[in-house]
Amino acid sequence: MHPVDLIALLPLLILAATSIVVMLTIALHRSHRLASLLTLIGLICAFASLWVARTLTPTEASPLLEVDSYAVFFLGLVIAATFVVVILAYDYLEKQPVNREEFYVLLLVASLGAGVLIVSAHFVSFFLGLELLSVALYALNAYVFTRALPVEAGIKYLVLAAGSAAFLLLGMALVYARVGTMEFSQIGGLVSGGGHLLKDPLMLAGLALIVTGVGFKLAVVPFHMWTPDVYEGAPAPVTAYVATVSKGAMFALLVRFFYVTGASSLGPVFLVFSVIAIASMLVGNLLALLQSNVKRILAYSSIAHLGYLLVAFLAAGRWAVEAVAFYLVAYFITTLGAFGVVTVLSNGERDADSLADYQGLFWRRPALAGIFALMLFSLAGIPLTAGFVGKFLLVRAGASSALWNLVVILVVTSVIGLFYYLRVIVALFASPETAAPSPAPSPAVSASGASTLVVLSALLVWLGVDPAFMLQVIERAISSLKLL
Amino acid sequence: MNLLWLIPAFPIAGFLFLALAGTRLSRRAVSIVGAGSVGLSALVSLWIAGQFFVSPPAGYAYTQTIWNWLDVGSLHLPIAFYLDPLSLIMTLVVTCVGFLIHVYSAGYMSEDEDISRFFAYMNLFVASMVTLLLASNLVLLLLGWEGVGLCSYLLIGFWYRDPANGYAGRKAFIVTRVGDTSMLIGLFLLYRHLGTLDIQTLMARAAHQWPVGSPLAVAAGLLLLGGAVGKSAQLPLQTWLPDAMAGPTPTSALIHAATMVTAGVYLIARMHVIYQLAPSAQFTVGVVGAATLTLAGFSALTQPDIKRALAYSTVSQIGYMFLALGVGAWSAAIFHFMTHAFFKALLFLGAGMIIESLHHEQNMFKMGGLRKELPVVFWTFLIAGCALAGVPLVTAGFYSKGLIVWQAEASSAGRWGFWLVAVFGVFLTSAYTFRIIFLTFFGEAKSHVHKRPGLAMTVPCIVLAVLSLVGGFVKTPEFLGNIHLFTDFLHHALPPVAVAHARAMSELASEGWVTLALIVGFAVAYFCYIERPEFTASLTRSALGNALHRFWKSDWGMDWLYDRLLVWPVMWFARVDAGDAVDSIYTGIARLCEWFYQGVRRTETGQIRWYAAAIAFGTLIFVAVVLFL
Repeated sequence: MHPVDLIALLPLLILAATSIVVMLTIALHRSHRLASLLTLIGLICAFASLWVARTLTPTEASPLLEVDSYAVFFLGLVIAATFVVVILAYDYLEKQPVNREEFYVLLLVASLGAGVLIVSAHFVSFFLGLELLSVALYALNAYVFTRALPVEAGIKYLVLAAGSAAFLLLGMALVYARVGTMEFSQIGGLVSGGGHLLKDPLMLAGLALIVTGVGFKLAVVPFHMWTPDVYEGAPAPVTAYVATVSKGAMFALLVRFFYVTGASSLGPVFLVFSVIAIASMLVGNLLALLQSNVKRILAYSSIAHLGYLLVAFLAAGRWAVEAVAFYLVAYFITTLGAFGVVTVLSNGERDADSLADYQGLFWRRPALAGIFALMLFSLAGIPLTAGFVGKFLLVRAGASSALWNLVVILVVTSVIGLFYYLRVIVALFASPETAAPSPAPSPAVSASGASTLVVLSALLVWLGVDPAFMLQVIERAISSLKLL
Repeated sequence: MNLLWLIPAFPIAGFLFLALAGTRLSRRAVSIVGAGSVGLSALVSLWIAGQFFVSPPAGYAYTQTIWNWLDVGSLHLPIAFYLDPLSLIMTLVVTCVGFLIHVYSAGYMSEDEDISRFFAYMNLFVASMVTLLLASNLVLLLLGWEGVGLCSYLLIGFWYRDPANGYAGRKAFIVTRVGDTSMLIGLFLLYRHLGTLDIQTLMARAAHQWPVGSPLAVAAGLLLLGGAVGKSAQLPLQTWLPDAMAGPTPTSALIHAATMVTAGVYLIARMHVIYQLAPSAQFTVGVVGAATLTLAGFSALTQPDIKRALAYSTVSQIGYMFLALGVGAWSAAIFHFMTHAFFKALLFLGAGMIIESLHHEQNMFKMGGLRKELPVVFWTFLIAGCALAGVPLVTAGFYSKGLIVWQAEASSAGRWGFWLVAVFGVFLTSAYTFRIIFLTFFGEAKSHVHKRPGLAMTVPCIVLAVLSLVGGFVKTPEFLGNIHLFTDFLHHALPPVAVAHARAMSELASEGWVTLALIVGFAVAYFCYIERPEFTASLTRSALGNALHRFWKSDWGMDWLYDRLLVWPVMWFARVDAGDAVDSIYTGIARLCEWFYQGVRRTETGQIRWYAAAIAFGTLIFVAVVLFL
């Protein structure tokens, strides 16, 4: 390994170093403000180091890790999302009756895991990143352990994640047993080289088991069942993190793994993904229809959104990757914004997750209600929001590969989905008289939280109105991906 | 001249400011912002008019492009303003009369709790109207067209707590909508066949591509006429205007008398090339005008409500303008528009002061003798009434109406029938105008005056009265000085009327007959309402008189007819189909989704063993799929 390769890995190294620094600081002096400040500084440094890393791309820092412009793009996304979560979490944790500082250590470790997933080019780094992310998330989910729901969420996530990781490991083992290598690019070479691999039972079964591992993290049908319980139980900022960083990093890996190995074009694997996509779109949207818990609605909606993303994933090709990347950006912004509103409205006793808490919110907190409505509009894919442009790109990618069944289901289920987004929006604007008799939690919003939400809304509208700049960035970023 | 964009910009700014911050301002500040924005707009248009006269731009037309609105394929739509003598004159009248009415409103509405909403709507109206007039393409024109329609609707229903006002607003909106639809189809047709919506290019291409009498030109002309009759309340879509009097009186003066309702006249004048290519469509315009002016004249004669009487008079006067357009007397139509804006606005403002001073009494038969009580109102109202009737020599109405009447016959497209109807219309106008004046200002006082108008209300009236007197001296007949400033100026934008000298009667003879008709009308009104009011009363009590009276009063039964023909069948169908057969499909889909929801939610048990089983089961199936498929 060359010293230059270390520079390419600088963003990951900074994340790791920050977590250690924060941990040591806690040992010396317990201060919530200091811990969060150090975390933010570390994240800013990591983000800045992306430009340094970018000058060296593409470089295979080791056989395990490949830092290319594609990875840099998603690293940036993950770091930025973590930054937002830290800001939102600060005010949230202030209200919780637990030690607050360790939260940031766990969060940094999780982001490090996500980063490793993004740059991994090898089964070993894949698994390492996954476990780093998962283990940190077990603790994060149950962070507010004084309440029952977070603990339940943590345990459910622990058992199921560990179980699905076992499937993943077995899958990797089967593939390795057949091809004798764990490097994605070499597997890809073998798949495209020898036709016999396409029908090999060991290889196919291995891939199917890998799909299980990936599918669990992405929360797609039928590996989705944990989502609503964990979303509902976990503290709101953690939910935001699980919904965005964890899924985004996994999707970046999914695209890299299946495109580089060429496995997604294998007929049976393609079929499996199609079934998953269709089932996710249908079940996710249907499950959300009459829900009365906002966090559960967002959980089900995220299942559907991952289904939409899979349509573009299956379409393959440059447009598809562009669509996936843009959609993820839009999804990150929107989800962070939506959970951000939930976070700032939550108090020390419970999260503001009942639909009744939002009844007539517009008349009490017009700005928050407006931002929440904007986020929901984007999730529903209404024009002038980033969500619309993202969905448009997905449909374009699907249509250009003539995946008509998938595209039609995408459109139809989007219409079904509109219903529950509008249900929440209607509740937001319901006349104040019909609001819940018991006053819902309505704490003061700090300047940092408010400005974060405003920036997210501005980004949302900007990407919805003028997506050209972001598309250019994406175009340059994905050029490093060796598409088949 | 590059200040052109400011003319709509000021009122728009006023509207935005009042809409956003209006409720936090004092009444006085609201009036200052509301009237001030239109005042600035009027100043800018006066300044631009001055420049235009002193140093006219090349080709007597000036285009200012603000920005690109739409640019898709061959469709190129800029937000651009086009200034030529036609739009200049109309803009001047709209902003200046608009300003005077805004000042009047500051007094009239000073005690209304919603004054900021009122001025916001009024400013939006002026902005839309000016956009309509200055638009260089038909889509921007349509934007202004719909904008004024919206403001009209909002202002008719301004006092929305009374359901009748809301009903009147809806009626106005829906009836004009019928015309708008026709106009929209006309625009589609023009774009389809001429490939542009820029008005000047459109005119050039039409003249180039279509021969005279081409069926396409006729169709386009008739479709646009449909839009015009809706907005300008002409037959058969005139029924909304009398009900529109439910709005505050300044609104009636500005929107439903002086400006918006003449948008149809402007549209036809603006698109005159189409009508020159389609003589039959143009003839239809004339027939509509002639029919409307008589029918509305009879209706005006029978209204007891002062505002409704004035509304029918407006319909009738716009009929004159349509008649002028129908015989190709374009400039005469615009001339009458201008003078009409002065005196009709004044009549409404006067009516507003009367109504207010009598505790919101609108029935003329309960007024009377106001001559001494409200001298300023009386004199200004009298001047405006004389101008409306067209009292010779001293009033503006005489010159503009006389020109139309004469050209109804003398123009090469003119006809004896048109002239006859027009002269008869003068008789009607004179009769109903003096009926209003006699009933309100003469005779014995029947109501007590409890409030006198302030300066903010009287000063605009005096200014308008002066304009009603001198506004006609810009174009006089040959035998009376032969001034033709106004028409010369307009001829840079509109073709001059082609006088058929061979058969035409002389202008003097025509004016003679007009004057005679006027005197007869005055005499009839005097006889019926001053000399022998009991005779009139007995006349309306007789069987035939009563029936005729009721028939005319109800606008020739048009509302009754439309109710039976259109409203009732629709309502009947709505009742029959209250369950909506088609809707059950959608309800069915919704039910199905709900059913599915109930099904899938059972999978969310909250039990971790079940979740783990699902993961394992799913994996098994997928492994089976990849292995055996």
